Amino acid sequence: MSDTTLTNGWEYQDKPREMQSELLEINMGPQHPATHGVLRLLIKTDGEIVHTVTPYLGYLHRCAEKIAEGCDWRQWMVYTDRFDYLAPMNMNFGYAVAVENMLDVTVPERAEYIRVICAELQRIASHLIAIGTFGLDMGAWTPLLYCFREREEILNIFERLSGGRMLYNYFDIGGVRFDTYDGFEDEVLHMVNVMEQKLDEYNTLLSYNKIFIERLADVAVIDTATCYEYGCTGPVLRGSGTPFDCRKDDPYSIYDRFEFDVPYGMGEQGSVGDCWDRYMVRVRECFESCRIIRQAVADLPGGDIMSPDLKKLVKVPQGSLYTRTESSKGEIGFHIIADGGSKPFRNKVRSPSYSNLHVIEKVGPGMMVSDLVATIGSLDIVLGEIDR
Amino acid sequence: MTQYVRDIVDAVVSALKGLRITSKHLTKKPVTLQYPDERWVLPERFKGFIINDTWRCDACMRCAKVCPVDCISIETVGKGRDRFMYRYAIDYNKCIWCGYCTTECPTDACQHSLDYDHALYKRQRLVYEFADPKDPVPCHKETRLEMGYYVPNAEEEMAKLVAKKAAAAQPADPPAAAPDEGKGE
Amino acid sequence: MQVMTDLFASIFGDSMSPTALLIAGGLTMALIMSLVMALCAIVFTWMERKVAGFMQSRYGPMRVGGFHGVLQPVADMLKILGKEDIIPDEADKGLFILAPFVIFIGSLMAWAAIPFAPGFIASDLDLGLFYIFAVSSAAPAGILMAGWASNNKWALYGAARGAAQMVSYEIPLALAAIPVVMVTGTLNMNAIVEAQGGGIWNWFIFHDPFLFIAFVIYFIASIAEVNRGPFDMPETESELVAGYHIEYTGMRFAFFFLAEYANLFLVSCIATAVFLGGWQPVAGPVFVPGLVFVFKAVLLVFMQMLIRWTLPRLRVDQLMHTCWKVMVPLALLCVLGSGIWMMVSGELL
Repeated sequence: MSDTTLTNGWEYQDKPREMQSELLEINMGPQHPATHGVLRLLIKTDGEIVHTVTPYLGYLHRCAEKIAEGCDWRQWMVYTDRFDYLAPMNMNFGYAVAVENMLDVTVPERAEYIRVICAELQRIASHLIAIGTFGLDMGAWTPLLYCFREREEILNIFERLSGGRMLYNYFDIGGVRFDTYDGFEDEVLHMVNVMEQKLDEYNTLLSYNKIFIERLADVAVIDTATCYEYGCTGPVLRGSGTPFDCRKDDPYSIYDRFEFDVPYGMGEQGSVGDCWDRYMVRVRECFESCRIIRQAVADLPGGDIMSPDLKKLVKVPQGSLYTRTESSKGEIGFHIIADGGSKPFRNKVRSPSYSNLHVIEKVGPGMMVSDLVATIGSLDIVLGEIDR
Repeated sequence: MTQYVRDIVDAVVSALKGLRITSKHLTKKPVTLQYPDERWVLPERFKGFIINDTWRCDACMRCAKVCPVDCISIETVGKGRDRFMYRYAIDYNKCIWCGYCTTECPTDACQHSLDYDHALYKRQRLVYEFADPKDPVPCHKETRLEMGYYVPNAEEEMAKLVAKKAAAAQPADPPAAAPDEGKGE
Repeated sequence: MQVMTDLFASIFGDSMSPTALLIAGGLTMALIMSLVMALCAIVFTWMERKVAGFMQSRYGPMRVGGFHGVLQPVADMLKILGKEDIIPDEADKGLFILAPFVIFIGSLMAWAAIPFAPGFIASDLDLGLFYIFAVSSAAPAGILMAGWASNNKWALYGAARGAAQMVSYEIPLALAAIPVVMVTGTLNMNAIVEAQGGGIWNWFIFHDPFLFIAFVIYFIASIAEVNRGPFDMPETESELVAGYHIEYTGMRFAFFFLAEYANLFLVSCIATAVFLGGWQPVAGPVFVPGLVFVFKAVLLVFMQMLIRWTLPRLRVDQLMHTCWKVMVPLALLCVLGSGIWMMVSGELL
């Protein structure tokens, strides 16, 4: 037992020879209410203080990338739905943009605007789950139900739009599959108005609750250097103070036409990069998404929803390209290698949760077990994305 | 010391504010729908269980080819004008309700219903058979017209068929080149 | 117990010796207390689920029993009775089986000194309040037994936290009740309640501001005592997957549940008796004292439920910090302040 100086301010001292105690090896097993999916964490603790954390993955591996080699380009869209099943529109968006970048096809304006509206609504829905389940991990049961109540409204809009409530399969290469329904714009605007009021309510109920702040301030401080080291993106990176957002710094689709801010952690309650900062970045991103949606709905043009010059059987010319888009969890990247045929040669997915999760190995030692739960909640991981 | 007192005051005040929000909800009407007594009204585009109308289906196999998980099984017998489909099965153990088959179907045979609660006890019963092997569905357009199955633009096609039959019944031209029956579709 | 003994005396008269009357009265009271305990578990599980439901924009139980699921607890009980009784292989069998009973008994024994109505108290002890606090200290022992005997590391975590928490929070709990003892000069529960007669302003909570703060401290400490609400670290479902009773199934688990709700009602009853006037009405003559008492206790339980479903939970070290560095000093301050107030106002003669 070396003299590791641990990050949470607890100094781990050498135990005297007479009291040789062992580390308790405990399994925060695949079945656990707090690990946000089938994730196994092997924790070695000394009483309440964690000494090492090792994540074990693969419990949800479904060989989606291998299946891509036997699917058409369009058919694989349904598999992207199932990566981050809490934000499928963002996954669809990423894949559609990735393939369209390799083809020479222009997506019609109407489809672009609808895509942005759907992606931002989906971002709000995903962050609602992040906020709600984070509150649940901390012991506040009620905000979860409130968040789900608001999410229901978004899912209703998506159900009327695409027919599905959770896995939509709505985007397609070259556009979207169905046009909007009557009353779509009104419902979306109503939703956005309600959302902003409710977010204020969540702030009063949960975000600025002293107990919540005490649980999260100064816990799991991840600085920017660690983020770069592990490749953390999304709210994790922004929570550490770096305002990097693919939509602003590497714009895709029509994001450069919208005016929105990128919230980042400023250490309001504790240090920059603690759990509270990451949580608050998500809440603030919901407000920003509402802004984008308002602008997009105001400018929604008419026209086609599908690119007319794309054949039914898509054939991508030979080449390889990595395209990144901003999902609610971080930067989702699709590295597509095509060989000119009708099926992909290799679709590699760079999932944000995979990189975000591994930060826990660095930040974990030194905190208490309860703080570990808080950290995992603040990283907002989805196992579907990690294991694919 | 001031931080200590401020912490206590903050804790009490924020707790009371939170309590006010949740207590207000005690008097509001809940948003729950009491399933199965009250049900959600499904939109038209809802992707429920897929139903294949065999009157309209002509075994073009597009749905089977486009299905990402290969859950549709179509089996036909014969060739050309004698091609009949005797099995159309959708395996709902595999189906992911993506809706590609319904979008692809040219005759609108494959449609989404608004059903969603089909829980069963045996896995085998989730394979839905739509075609009756004792009453196979013709696939060739002319056979379908003759047997009264759905064909797009039925009247025109019927007229064409009648004309063709009339022309073939003329004794003058020997039937040199047999009509091309190789195409079954 | 006096009421019961008199009842038996009036029925049987001279055919029973005084000892026999005492025993009969005592046993009947014990039976009634146990029934009340079972009943409160049943009623409070239903109430908790309904309150939680309505706070969260949903209904709670609705189907069982027609009107708003009133028979849901009965259905739960029947379900639990039908569950398999699993004892882990490597578990310490004796302790495993004994643990729920220890917790249950610790809670049940304390009911002996709760004054529900004038004369309707199981045992009119002269050190009633002291007895209650002493006897409810059996619970941490039961929790440690449950956690250790389960042969499960998560259970051990929960047990260690739970025992530490319960033992620590007994201090502010008792300290907060001391000003009341100072005012009345006795530990006898009946006397404490009787001293609060004559309308709402005679209740001890309004006696002086320090007693009001003492009530708040008592209330918060009582939430911690029953492992509820913001202090439910030992049994957090999101961290420890049910904490110290992780390995218990069926009726044994039901015992833990029963004990928790009984404890909840117990501390509310104590708070009612000591601070809120017990069976004394708001104004006017004493009328249906039992119902008044139960009503006040249920109100306190309701407030505890509101708090549980609103606030996030404290981490273990923050829990301990709150107890030792915030509540104990405040409680001591209340004792001091109360004493000075009584001296100044001339009560302490």
